[in-house]
Amino acid sequence: MTADDRTPDDVPFETVSSSEVTRGERIRATIDEWILVPARILWSDWRARVGTLIMLLYVLMGTVGVWLVDAPQIGEGERLIPPFTDPSYPLGTDSMGNDLFAQVVHATPPMLEMIVAGALFTTVMATIVGTFSGYKGGRTDKLLMMFTDILLTIPGLPLVIVIAVILEPREPWVIGIILTLNAWAGLARAIRSQVLTMREESFVEASRLMGLPTRTILVKDIVPGLMPYILVNFVNSARTVVFTSVGLYFLGILPFTNHNWGVMMNLAYTTGGALYTLRAAHWLLVPMAAIVLLSFGFILFAQGTDRLFNPRVRARHENNAGANSSDDADENSGKVSTHIQG
Amino acid sequence: MSDNSFTGRSEATKADVSAIQVDDPILEMRDASVTFDMDRGESRVLDQVNLDVQRNEILGVVGESGSGKSMFASALLDAVVDPGTLSGDITYHPDPDRSVDVLDLSPEQLRELRWEEISMVFQGAQSSFNPTTTIRDHFEETIEAHNYDMAQGMAHARELLEDLYLEPDRVLDAYPHELSGGMQQRALIALSLVLEPNVLVMDEPTAALDLLMQRSILSLLNDLQEKYDLTVVFITHDLPLVAGLADRLAVMYAFEFAEVGPADEIIRNPTHPYTRSLLKAVPNLDTPLQEMQPIEGMAPDPVDVPEGCSYHPRCPLADDVCRASNPAYHAVDDSDDHVAACFHWEQASDVLSLTTDGETEHAEIVGKQSADPVVSLTDVDVHFEQEADGGLLSIFDDPDLVHAVDDVSLDVYENDVVALVGESGCGKTTLGKTSIAAQRPTGGSVTYREQDVWDAKDGVGDVETPFEAIRRSLQMVHQDPGGSLNPNRKVQASLEAPLKHWNTGMDAEDRKERVFSMLEYVGMSPPEDYAGRYPHQLSGGEQQRVALIRALLMNPDLILADEAVSALDVSLRVEVMDLMLELQDVFDTSYLFISHNLSNARYFAGNAGGRIGVMYLGEIVEIGPAEEIIANPKHPYTKVLKWSTADLEVDQDVEEPPISSIDIPDPVDPPSGCRFHTRCPEAREACARQQPSLDEHASDDEHRVACFREYDQSHEYWESEPIDDGESTDLFADGSDAAEIESDD
Repeated sequence: MTADDRTPDDVPFETVSSSEVTRGERIRATIDEWILVPARILWSDWRARVGTLIMLLYVLMGTVGVWLVDAPQIGEGERLIPPFTDPSYPLGTDSMGNDLFAQVVHATPPMLEMIVAGALFTTVMATIVGTFSGYKGGRTDKLLMMFTDILLTIPGLPLVIVIAVILEPREPWVIGIILTLNAWAGLARAIRSQVLTMREESFVEASRLMGLPTRTILVKDIVPGLMPYILVNFVNSARTVVFTSVGLYFLGILPFTNHNWGVMMNLAYTTGGALYTLRAAHWLLVPMAAIVLLSFGFILFAQGTDRLFNPRVRARHENNAGANSSDDADENSGKVSTHIQG
Repeated sequence: MSDNSFTGRSEATKADVSAIQVDDPILEMRDASVTFDMDRGESRVLDQVNLDVQRNEILGVVGESGSGKSMFASALLDAVVDPGTLSGDITYHPDPDRSVDVLDLSPEQLRELRWEEISMVFQGAQSSFNPTTTIRDHFEETIEAHNYDMAQGMAHARELLEDLYLEPDRVLDAYPHELSGGMQQRALIALSLVLEPNVLVMDEPTAALDLLMQRSILSLLNDLQEKYDLTVVFITHDLPLVAGLADRLAVMYAFEFAEVGPADEIIRNPTHPYTRSLLKAVPNLDTPLQEMQPIEGMAPDPVDVPEGCSYHPRCPLADDVCRASNPAYHAVDDSDDHVAACFHWEQASDVLSLTTDGETEHAEIVGKQSADPVVSLTDVDVHFEQEADGGLLSIFDDPDLVHAVDDVSLDVYENDVVALVGESGCGKTTLGKTSIAAQRPTGGSVTYREQDVWDAKDGVGDVETPFEAIRRSLQMVHQDPGGSLNPNRKVQASLEAPLKHWNTGMDAEDRKERVFSMLEYVGMSPPEDYAGRYPHQLSGGEQQRVALIRALLMNPDLILADEAVSALDVSLRVEVMDLMLELQDVFDTSYLFISHNLSNARYFAGNAGGRIGVMYLGEIVEIGPAEEIIANPKHPYTKVLKWSTADLEVDQDVEEPPISSIDIPDPVDPPSGCRFHTRCPEAREACARQQPSLDEHASDDEHRVACFREYDQSHEYWESEPIDDGESTDLFADGSDAAEIESDD
């Protein structure tokens, strides 16, 4: 793309394109912007890297793992084999001879479904309600906020327990949504207050004055500025889903239809007496370790993701890819120096 | 004196420091450097600076943003923030025989040095105060922390506040938000002086204030300096502001001092090419418009300062010597105290003449104004409801109305330029937003090409021009270049947004090509590179250009430029205003230019043959052709504004302003009659009762004034008694109090 065919004297308003960009080039640019650059940013931060690896491990466990590892069966091995002793039962067995490793693996797919459903529901609901309410203001704002306030005042856990008892949900997707049924309200309020300050920003006003529709302004101007916050909350609500579901399975409130780490802990506690006998302790510790590791992965990932939407970091990583001319970094320092001045 | 050693920096500075030294220094800075380690390399934001501060002088440090002037202030107090590292020597002499090595002090000693010996005033008074405690607490806390005697300290505090024309009782018991910006800044100065320091370092202390308040604070500062034998280091980007105040001036460029000397020498006979260009680039009221011209190029990056003289890429005098080695300080005209770091200082005055020179061609664009207005405002009111703060029962009270704009009529024609000038809070931005249909007026009508804008929006009556078309035609460029672009989107995406929505027929390549050509047109080339950048990778001037292009891509009829150049560096303002005027010619658009600065308004409107409108408390008090308003201001308020616009005059003392009260009255309860009468030196009884108006019959090109003094002799103004409040010397008396006294009569 050369500038030869243009002269500065032309009225720039009339310019039309003289060159064609192939479809392939555009697709490549899109892939670079949406996948490669974020991946590079994540990889450059050790917390995000470790967090991503841990999450990837669980995804593998939930997809490929269930094919490789046979479902646990009662009496397939000796009772209460300690972990790391028998290679065919790497994490040992429970009091009925079930393979604990297989139980952990087979509890993963429903758990992942629950997490995705719950976290997506929370953040999408909160973002839509929060941004719309904060940006529109007036009556829309009042109505939406009244609704969220009502949800906020309902105590969450009892509500979930009541609904779980009435509906007896079996689908992991449904359980995920029930668990977060009123968790989005608080996030929606927080997002709304962020939007209230952002809507007065000059660039948002400029978009408004250009007559762009509200939808475009919300998606292009408001939400990108909130993305670090939204993403951190997405990961946090994923952790909430894990903890709540495990807790409710452990308490026996959710029906024991799926394999679940909470179910394992419940059985270890009620039938195995894992709290009192050292022999059965691993029955309780194995699912706990699975939960703790996943939660740890989420936290690390969340800490690393706030860089993902920082334009300064993005610009640097795009330069590495050669998507831009490499002298960018040298010329962008005016801002940096004023930053130091300030 | 100068041995002309062009070889290297360290040798040069040692060989020729004589002029930077003074007889009785209170602070000595030697080879001071501040560096930051960054990903891109070492960022040197203060580069081997040598400077002495004379006891009891006012030293003005002038530089553009990013020139390292704030770092200089931090270094004086050894207050460089982590991870910056400070090297060199800084010596403080409490009296001529003692010396203290500032960089050698323990944290406890350093704490004592700061505030007790050297204190500092920062830019934003609002953020320097803790909003949850009263001003008194701030004083008491400071006195207590430094183990001073409380009673004595508070007595001194009261004295200081009185010196600054503040009422001690009222101010001490107030919370910071209850004081106006100017009062806060004065209280902050008092707070910094309460421990009787010897040196006061002020970093842009008045930058956030109105010109009028700036000038008034400077005159107070002059008095304080004399009364308390202070040494003041005044850091600013505004050369004219400090010119009349300072004894010596030091001009900073690229993290070191380019020229140091007595203030009058620097203004009358500047020798460094940068100083000369800076003086020419600053818009002011006296220089003919043709003589102002911008400095080409950009200030260097602290990571990558050019070899040799750091100014050579922008300097018309630069030659091989400048590119190869760093110039030493040369004494100018063999005087001891005026030095310039330039090899060619002798030629500078010939090449860069400060007076008229023919080489610059300046496009004089005269507005081709149409017969019918594009946007017409008729009797427009904008009143905001202010929330009452009286608790639960107050919901039954009528809310307070803030009269932001009151009964204003204004026509803007095609290819027209109207500059609105006024103090902050006078309603100029609200009026601007009302005229581009971004703010719904509470009274009166706004029409676009004879279509009522808000009728079109609501679909009332016959709508000839749909609101979408009106919306497109009225655009805005914001004040803060950093905030006017979405930080998360690249330039390309930001600029394509309007095209995507409005020119649906364009395909991706056409859009891209148009954005590129626009970028190139405004001098951002190569455009492919700039289009792929995020806003933070652009300088302030470039950001403002992008914002301007974005508005122009809509092909608007009127652009509201709300303080569009105020946030830019002085050297860039003229350049951006020139660009805006050039684009006006290409795109056939009109501007409504809002500024608190009369000289910017004069430059912008004057070059386009436009008008200047002066606003006061929601009303236009004077309007007319730009040069006419500047040369022959008729309204007393315009005269005040002209007074407050600092001229490049050194010997002119900071005199008393032609106004009887500095603080602006409360717009919730504007004064009766002529709104300016509470502050007007010419006010008479009639002014409090009747309201003067702009001449309705005069044409829009004429000079119109809303003041009884322009009425003929038969008007009762000339018969009535002058208003004498007995306190006309008390400039800082609260204006709203005065207003109450008047209305009680």
